Amino acid sequence: MRLFRMPPQIVRLVLLTVGIVTSYLIARFFLTPPSFGQYGFYRADALEEIASRQPVFAGRQSCDKNCHAKALETIAKGDHKTVSCESCHGNCHDHVEDRQVKVITHVTCTRCHEADPARSPFIKQIESKKHYSGERCTECHVPHQPSEVP
Amino acid sequence: MNKPASRRHVLTSLGSALAGVLSFSAARTAKAAVQNVLVSTPAPNRYRAAEHRWLMAIDIDRCIGCGLCAEACKTENQVPVGAYFRTWIERYIIKRPEPGSVQLRGDTVVDSPNGGMNGFPPSPVPREQILKAFYVPKLCNLCEHSPCSQACPVGATFDSPDGAVLVDPHYCIGCGFCIQACPYGCRFFNPLTKTADKCSLCYHRITRGLRPACVEVCPTEARIFGDLKNPVENDPLQQFVMKNKVQTLKPHLGTEPRVLYAGMDKEVR
Amino acid sequence: MNPALTNAIVEALPHVDGYVYPNEQNLLWSTLIVVYPYVTGLVAGAFIMASLVRVFRVQALEPVYRLSLLTSFSFLLAAPLPLLFHLGHPERCLQIMMTPHVSSPMAMFGFVYAWYMMAVLLLELWFDYRHDFVIWAEKERGLKGVIYRLFTLGVHDLSEPALRLDERMGKIISIIGIPSAFLLHGYVGFIFGSIKANPWWGNVLMPIIFIFSAIVSGISLCVVVSLVVNWARRRAQDIRCLDMMGRFLFYALVADASLETLDWVHRLYAADESIYVLKSLASGKLFYTLLIGQACLGTLVPFLVLGFLQLFRRHVAPLMRQHLYALSAVLIMLGVLAMRWNVVIGGQLFSKSLRGFTTYKMELAGHEGWLMSLALLVLPFVILGFLMRFFLPVHRPDSIGQGAAVKVVA
Repeated sequence: MRLFRMPPQIVRLVLLTVGIVTSYLIARFFLTPPSFGQYGFYRADALEEIASRQPVFAGRQSCDKNCHAKALETIAKGDHKTVSCESCHGNCHDHVEDRQVKVITHVTCTRCHEADPARSPFIKQIESKKHYSGERCTECHVPHQPSEVP
Repeated sequence: MNKPASRRHVLTSLGSALAGVLSFSAARTAKAAVQNVLVSTPAPNRYRAAEHRWLMAIDIDRCIGCGLCAEACKTENQVPVGAYFRTWIERYIIKRPEPGSVQLRGDTVVDSPNGGMNGFPPSPVPREQILKAFYVPKLCNLCEHSPCSQACPVGATFDSPDGAVLVDPHYCIGCGFCIQACPYGCRFFNPLTKTADKCSLCYHRITRGLRPACVEVCPTEARIFGDLKNPVENDPLQQFVMKNKVQTLKPHLGTEPRVLYAGMDKEVR
Repeated sequence: MNPALTNAIVEALPHVDGYVYPNEQNLLWSTLIVVYPYVTGLVAGAFIMASLVRVFRVQALEPVYRLSLLTSFSFLLAAPLPLLFHLGHPERCLQIMMTPHVSSPMAMFGFVYAWYMMAVLLLELWFDYRHDFVIWAEKERGLKGVIYRLFTLGVHDLSEPALRLDERMGKIISIIGIPSAFLLHGYVGFIFGSIKANPWWGNVLMPIIFIFSAIVSGISLCVVVSLVVNWARRRAQDIRCLDMMGRFLFYALVADASLETLDWVHRLYAADESIYVLKSLASGKLFYTLLIGQACLGTLVPFLVLGFLQLFRRHVAPLMRQHLYALSAVLIMLGVLAMRWNVVIGGQLFSKSLRGFTTYKMELAGHEGWLMSLALLVLPFVILGFLMRFFLPVHRPDSIGQGAAVKVVA
């Protein structure tokens, strides 16, 4: 009753403001995605969505399991014990799924062992041009047992 | 005039209150219906984020710059071909001082051709001029006070409870503010998804008990990865901090990066 | 991978000089993001011009009062467009209002913008125009009539007390509007100033410099627009009004130039780690846009011209003064655009490793090309022209607050 003695401009503007704010709040209520704010300021569902992507590399564990146990044993005794199977053999995912799929080894020894001033002395290095003018490194070296000869 | 008016007044207010309550529950159902359109189906997963706290550490003295990590990351995470890297390697070459200059060390030359993912070409500086050179792998620094998630206007990038900093590709609007806010240059704009993108610590691998792809293929254990809440026997991270003095990148910015670097030189930024 | 091939890849990147992080090789924020702070700056500056009339009662500026408000409004309408076009997912733009992250300046800007548009600009326009709306609503037929009737919000009261209330409300809103305009553009400055990762952006002077360069560009815009409107409507230029605008432009320019100089003096004096790469940036990649464009042509020349006019105004013929004001205003507007370029593009040209530079490969066409930026710079003028048809017709006196004055009905 006292309200309506206020000037009409103010009344109309207040009503308009209340209308706008209310519609904003309603829109926000409906349009906030589900699970938002559960763990923090983000969609909690995102964690599961991101986690549900399919891994590409198989991982060292897959090479074992009664398939390549012997090779793994040999490697674990030599200088290449820190090297994972897929470092040299590339992504073996398809091979793990279906054993008939061949693994293509795309990396050569010089990738890691080529002499380079920035390369840490942690790794043995050779200058491939001066080291050996033959065909392949495997003529003298066994990748799984670097200290052995073939 | 008073009594009938006040009774009418009470009835109308009660009626409107009841209507409000009823419509609220109807509104909730309506909201659920609307959101069903917006929701995506999450994969069922028995992984509980609160039980883990992941961390990666870098041993610079062990990195040989083979680039297998950068290459594997691109394959694992379908990163587009081009100047887009979730992880990369930098080569630092510190030259000998100019003869006559009263300096101990000369200029530093830094490069990262194609992120180092195909290995590095021969050094641009002749061997005789090199005083010291080394490789530094770079990745998301897993900041405690990440400036990127602080900057995100919609909550599309965030710190996960288990230590990774992730981007929600279904919610990101692609404004690029987080990319500008990251001091380490580890974020990029993915031209295919049109969202921000970055190292996710191979979240889809670590939640299944696998190691991140870069850690998997590193031949020299330069990248050390572990779970602070579930240390294993002879935990590599614990060995790392016992053996090394460690540094972080750009500590003066207050981002509290959690990735630790051993063997870092002052020229590394 | 054989070294020869990687070498080839390396050499195929001539646009990188020194070392940049691999992800920094291509720029992220394009000229669209240069246009956006420029346009919001003009919004704030034009409003400050209008508030000089309302709040500080500068009589000489009355003729441009409504024009300034309409200019501010048309630029405000165009302001979100560069952002929208730049987003990777523009269809998700509503998320910024639905789940705004309070720690993000970009999110909070949505609310600052909404506040400024609703509570300041539209309200002030409404209170000033309400009287005219009522008269036009009764006179006009058809679509125009419907629109005017809608704008009256159903309030047809033209009595003395009502008109006095309009006047008072307009003044109150102007008073609130000044800090709101500062907040509007200061916020845009803060979007850059909050990025501690970037030494070119992340400092405390950034919001303040943005505010003052906005004021300077806004006043210049009002000068240019009033000159053009009067010329188009074949009216005499109001030299008294121009003189007053020129005076305030000079004061604002002095403040703006001092702040920008302070920024540089402080950087050079404190000389932290980033100073080498920033000096290289300023004298190298940004030589033309910063030293020539922003500093010389955009600040020094107008400063000298306007300063000269402040001292020797009486000795200069009005026509000459008009041309000099026009020249200064245009130079300042271009200089402020150059300043936005230097901040946005410049900040991305150098690496955060402080070791190198990349190049901005600007597209011509495409939604982020410079044709689009040009179109978005022209659009507000188109909107202004459209608004003027409705709200600033030729035969109406375009002066402040109708009050009890008798309206000339042509």
